[in-house]
Amino acid sequence: MRKLIRFLGKFRDFLIFFLLQIFVLGLFFNSKYYHKSRMVNTSSEVVGWFLEKKHNITKHFSLPEANDRLAEENALLKSMMPESFYKLQDRYYYIDDTLYYRQYEYIPAEVISSTSNKRDNYITVRKGRLAGVEEGMGVVSDAGAVGMVVDASDHYAIVKTILSENIRMSVKHKEHNEFWFMNWDGSDNRIAQINNVNRDVDLAIGDEIVTRGGERFPSAVPVGVIDEIISVDGEQTLSLNIKLSVNFNSIFEVYLVRNLFAEEQRLLEGDLYTDEDE
Amino acid sequence: MNNGWIKYIAVLVLIVLLQGLVVNNIEISTWLNPMIYPVMILLLPFELGTFITMGVALFIGLSVDAMSNTFGLHASAALLIGYLRPTILRLIKPRDGYDGTLLPTVQDMGIPWFLVYSSILIFIHHFWFFTFEIFSFSKFFGIILKTFLSSLFSISLILLFLYIFYKSSRK
Repeated sequence: MRKLIRFLGKFRDFLIFFLLQIFVLGLFFNSKYYHKSRMVNTSSEVVGWFLEKKHNITKHFSLPEANDRLAEENALLKSMMPESFYKLQDRYYYIDDTLYYRQYEYIPAEVISSTSNKRDNYITVRKGRLAGVEEGMGVVSDAGAVGMVVDASDHYAIVKTILSENIRMSVKHKEHNEFWFMNWDGSDNRIAQINNVNRDVDLAIGDEIVTRGGERFPSAVPVGVIDEIISVDGEQTLSLNIKLSVNFNSIFEVYLVRNLFAEEQRLLEGDLYTDEDE
Repeated sequence: MNNGWIKYIAVLVLIVLLQGLVVNNIEISTWLNPMIYPVMILLLPFELGTFITMGVALFIGLSVDAMSNTFGLHASAALLIGYLRPTILRLIKPRDGYDGTLLPTVQDMGIPWFLVYSSILIFIHHFWFFTFEIFSFSKFFGIILKTFLSSLFSISLILLFLYIFYKSSRK
């Protein structure tokens, strides 16, 4: 009898363990595959506060580099014409479809925490809902595309970077616009992968890969350059290794992209696509 | 006993912050992911029931998840060793059983016992963690490598931590 009671006690423990595991692993897989956050993370006000305090101490070591990059970027932008405006020429204006002309706003944000050696790497930034940040926004830096916002509190937000499993970033070849999905296999944090590339596409090492453009990113934001073309005999498609333009080991300032036509596009597309991809 | 819990909670807060703000940023290599917070599960009193151990472990895991953007992974691994701890403790029980006035620290229980105790639980914890983090059969060797290297680093950190913050409970 006593053995039975002990067995039932252990069974109860195991059952509780099992149920809690399902719950907790459920939360985890949700973040991997659906790019959603159902859990407290570094964008929470409490956690963000601690991160900010720590960042205020350690940022001084990287201030010279961060400032140099900002100054360079300023000089570059001053010499360029702004390209993200809706152009009206004479009395004609083009409306091919809602996917063509975009108007983008950039919210600058300081990075207060980042990782680059985990399987899924996120950065925490010091801007949140009060600054207009929303889940799903694309994020870029002076060097190129960084990732997308997955959660935001009033003052902080977390960005799922390219260095994540299942990121499925929509990219295209800069010259001839062939497009694919880009992923990251977790081995080298300077190199991402594009698989299932058609063999009859014109490709060379050094070709630029940029964002395809759409709801999250303006078109032609640098993503990387082709570093290696991997061709396996017998396989129908090729794979590409892309050297990323953004160095996630030193990322200090980013811009969150607000697409002013996003709502319109979403209403138009309606239930056509689930928002799991891209 | 009350005094012990107050110290425990204070150290717990410290450890979670330490893990989130310092240890998480030790980014030497993709194959090295050290974790110091499992020490708080190792340090729980010997005779604590499975249910409470799991509860505390889950709480610690979720706190570390909040600071690491791992969304439940740390909670899962911590829960696992919380569940297994009583069994492991029973398996490596010294001949005369455990002294209720002592804690499972290296100072109280000696280096040999503590190394066995911590290695088993840390290895299991890290293996579970990296298996789910990487979640790919083809990367099995990578998971083993990561588990092994990270466990060594974690155990070193834990030993260092114990020597600094704890002393022998024996008078």
